[in-house]
Amino acid sequence: MEEIYPQLEALGRSERRVAMATLVGTKGTTPKKEGAKMWVGEGGHVLGSVTIGGCVDARVIEESEGVLQSGAPRRLKMALGDEDAWEIGLSCGGTVEVLVERLELGGDAPVLALYRRIAAEVDQNRAACLVRLLREPDRALLVLANGDCEGSLGEEALDHAARSQAAALLLRGTSRTERLGTNDPAATSGEGPEAFFEVHSPRPHLVLIGAGHVSMPLTELAKTLGFRITVVDARPRFATRERFPRADELRIGIPSEIVEQIPLVASTAVVLTVHDYKVEVPVLRAVLKSAVGYVGMLGNRHRGRGVLEVLRKEGVAETQLARVHVPVGLDIGAQTAAEIATSILAEVIAVRSGKSGTSLAEAAKADRVPASPAASHRGERAPG
Amino acid sequence: MSDVYGAVIAEHFRRPHNLGSLESPDAVHEELNPLCGDRIRIELKLDVGRVVAARFRGDACMVAVAATSLLTGMVVGLSLDEAAQFPEERLLAALETTLRPLRMQCARLPLQALRGALDGAIDR
Repeated sequence: MEEIYPQLEALGRSERRVAMATLVGTKGTTPKKEGAKMWVGEGGHVLGSVTIGGCVDARVIEESEGVLQSGAPRRLKMALGDEDAWEIGLSCGGTVEVLVERLELGGDAPVLALYRRIAAEVDQNRAACLVRLLREPDRALLVLANGDCEGSLGEEALDHAARSQAAALLLRGTSRTERLGTNDPAATSGEGPEAFFEVHSPRPHLVLIGAGHVSMPLTELAKTLGFRITVVDARPRFATRERFPRADELRIGIPSEIVEQIPLVASTAVVLTVHDYKVEVPVLRAVLKSAVGYVGMLGNRHRGRGVLEVLRKEGVAETQLARVHVPVGLDIGAQTAAEIATSILAEVIAVRSGKSGTSLAEAAKADRVPASPAASHRGERAPG
Repeated sequence: MSDVYGAVIAEHFRRPHNLGSLESPDAVHEELNPLCGDRIRIELKLDVGRVVAARFRGDACMVAVAATSLLTGMVVGLSLDEAAQFPEERLLAALETTLRPLRMQCARLPLQALRGALDGAIDR
């Protein structure tokens, strides 16, 4: 979601207007969740996707051309999979609802200003929720994490309800369509018009303790996955821009002191690649006091046990020690630094998603059912 | 770990003395071993030409942490000149072990941090 503004800005350099397709509703198994975007430019440029390609995106592109001509927004409801796919059991099984609308991309287009504002909030590590009426998507209310609002849905009662409902969704970090409450200020959903709540959360934060050779590909891969990356090391010779050109932040100093200064929240992952007890013990001591979502430590089982034992003797609770993933990463037979980085990030994602990291095909075999829709998405071209 | 370095180092590593920060310290210096990454910061409170309090913070090996823990206790009450010339032998003796040459730099690190802090204070 955080890439919306840069993508719109890039499109604005080559396109006068675009059709913006937003996934505003899903049912069943769908490859993308509410808030996914796709743009179809008047000049033919296509960016983003509301599924993973295939028939639905093709239909959106087709409808976009009509929207670009008429200027009237359209709501499309589509099943994932065409009739042939249903016939031979290749459908994804879900349905999606997509809002397609025309956007003007002039220099000071309102939509650009709006997404620029959202991007600025997200850059400051703050979430924001854009609320728009599905029947009149031009009406927009931006609700910030601190409760401040900008813009309006046209009626004070709608703004009030939207603000309250947005606050709940900001906490959950999920985008969705809801009916607005109109009278009850405490209502979480109501009988009013449908609105799409587009939640923009800060990028997940990866904090790497140690600027060694594993952290270098970790930074590269994590950047591609959308993480904000902080590399921490005591040694200025290692934590250099030359070695970490894509890191968002290089912090040199006492590592355990630095991690105390970083907000360690559920969306933060801390990975210790430093492989040195003198840093691992104090950093873990600090990190385990926080609500950090993931903490992993490079090292074999023996080393891992040793470091955890030092903390155990200090009185760190077993429940806290159990949070440390050591050895770090999923078992994919990783050997090189890049492979180890891949295994680590796969585990970070699995933990974030509440998944085990098991092979999808093996899980499907164990369930004695055909491969899951998500697996078929990865392995096959979507029909249509 | 205590078998390798002896009881004093093990104890000061597990329960370091003078760990933490001072409010408005009069002298501060951070010292780094650029290769191994040991990093120690010493903070001093000074009054009428004497060290009246010392604290430290750092992520460092057992020897360096233990040496800093001991040193920050031993310099309190010394004049600035006495502290700046604190004898290395006295600190090494307090560690109650024989360090291999490779580990001598670990024990010297807090002395370098102390001298760095006092250099700034004396210059002022």
